[in-house]
Amino acid sequence: MHIVVCTKQIVDPEIPSGEFKVDFEAKRAVPDQGEPVLNPYDENAIEVALQLKDRDKDIKVTVLTMGGESSQKVLRRALAMGCDEAIWLKDPSFEALDSAGTAAVIAKAIRQAGNVDIVLCGRQAGDWDMGQVGALLAEELQTACIPMAYNIEKKENALFVKRETENGMAVLEAGLPLVANITNSSTNQPRYPSVKGVLMAGRKKIPTFSAGDLSIDAEIPKRVVVEELTLPSYDRQVLFIDGEDGPEKAVNLAAHLIKMNLIK
Amino acid sequence: MPGILVYASIVCDAVSMPTREILGAARGVAAKTGEPVSAALLGSGISSLTQDLIEAGADSVHVCDNEKLWEFHANAYLKVLADIAASVNPRMIIFPGEAAAIELAPRLAHRLKGGLITDCIGFEVREDAVIFTKPVYGSKALARMRVDGPTALVTVRPRTQEPFGPDQNRKGDVVTVETALGDIAPETRTVERVEEEVFECILEEANVVVSGGRGMKDPESFQQLRELATLLNGAMGATRVAVDQGMVPPSCQIGLTGKIVAPEVYFAVGISGASQHIAGMSGSKYIVAINSDPDAPIFSISNVGVVEDYRNVMPTLIDELRKALA
Repeated sequence: MHIVVCTKQIVDPEIPSGEFKVDFEAKRAVPDQGEPVLNPYDENAIEVALQLKDRDKDIKVTVLTMGGESSQKVLRRALAMGCDEAIWLKDPSFEALDSAGTAAVIAKAIRQAGNVDIVLCGRQAGDWDMGQVGALLAEELQTACIPMAYNIEKKENALFVKRETENGMAVLEAGLPLVANITNSSTNQPRYPSVKGVLMAGRKKIPTFSAGDLSIDAEIPKRVVVEELTLPSYDRQVLFIDGEDGPEKAVNLAAHLIKMNLIK
Repeated sequence: MPGILVYASIVCDAVSMPTREILGAARGVAAKTGEPVSAALLGSGISSLTQDLIEAGADSVHVCDNEKLWEFHANAYLKVLADIAASVNPRMIIFPGEAAAIELAPRLAHRLKGGLITDCIGFEVREDAVIFTKPVYGSKALARMRVDGPTALVTVRPRTQEPFGPDQNRKGDVVTVETALGDIAPETRTVERVEEEVFECILEEANVVVSGGRGMKDPESFQQLRELATLLNGAMGATRVAVDQGMVPPSCQIGLTGKIVAPEVYFAVGISGASQHIAGMSGSKYIVAINSDPDAPIFSISNVGVVEDYRNVMPTLIDELRKALA
């Protein structure tokens, strides 16, 4: 069985609001602030794939990403975590695609790879938070799509997928091929790469695919256009509660909330 | 005349609040453009809800009441929606930011060759287009976006739009949709379903929310938060980190990828204030932050702050408030 995990490199989402910098001209975050990271939900998706592989050594896990020179890093990290192969979609025309364009290119690469049984995506990327590529891939590849999934088990030829629901969880039985969007859970916290994994990943050859390699000759249409990017302002002025120690501050806080008529 | 199509979601046999909110947003756009607002109503045994949708702002309701739609299956829903879109030919399709709609919207966009913008919080009507506001980079920035092409699809963040009405005098058309669903098979089969016990009131509807984050030591420390929430007839929430550490179930998660809440009072306890969490609670009317780090970003969006380890504050706070309420 072959699993492809689609990943994205993003500006570190942990950068605090006060330090976050925007390139207003280019309408995107300044790319070289902090170390770019693998999108956290994609790490959960890699973990779900690797847990399947832990139970069945015949499963091959390929990590895929689209991006420029620096995105090689996310592929190396995924390989170090235990993925078998990597696919790097790299072409100037792939820059600044919208979700539909991104899914169309990834679908071509997956079809070209052949015999892919499961495609996993993080539920959304922590930069533009669109959360569309997984569902769009299901349309492109004509498969079922399970959103909010966090664990997958394989029993013979069927997959049992645990997904979050509004007020709990559900287990779905699905056939192959399948696309699933992975959300975070206490059961899919990403493993750390081992030293051996890092060494092996460093030596692995990563094939790149350009638009030409994927037989994309026409311009990829763009349906969603960013007009402007701004920084929001919060206009709350915080009132700090004084006190000698915790209990005194608690008494003063309670008095304040009661005075403000907030306790009913 | 171009039009707006709204996808109606049903929760507990009623039109969902996020659906009422997007009907309110659609009416806001229609007030400027004069275009009609249609609603798409799909399900089994739901025909009685058409008048509710008209009173909530729809000019017409396209209803497909079919037992094949009893359980949500994307393929069947997509087929019906594509039929409705073909007959209404809207320039804009609005979805509530709820689980099923979030799955349907990208797939319908693909079938209609339209562009989709997710998690919108604002609409601005211009002569040539509608500009949508969407928080990006974990809500650290705001993007203003538009769709090129004949059909714009959007999902809207709950609790960001004012519902319309309801106005019991409104009249509208009801159109029956007869999509053939005979050959549509479910893509997946639900073999087990577990509903979590709801300890207090429903998180999204609570007037008071008490949340904990990275600063909480263990599941037991959440008991204090639950105690305060129960005392104030509120609900307990948490950040993603607390969920990842297994301290609370995922249904408690508040944030960009959790629940969106906007209570009268929000207690942020041991929460540093990552922008992803703030995205889920910044609409709260009054925010109380308790954190030992005076530089925690949560304080910059709070009304009142206590710089202190929550363990030194919570017991006395609960006692004092209990006395006041007695």
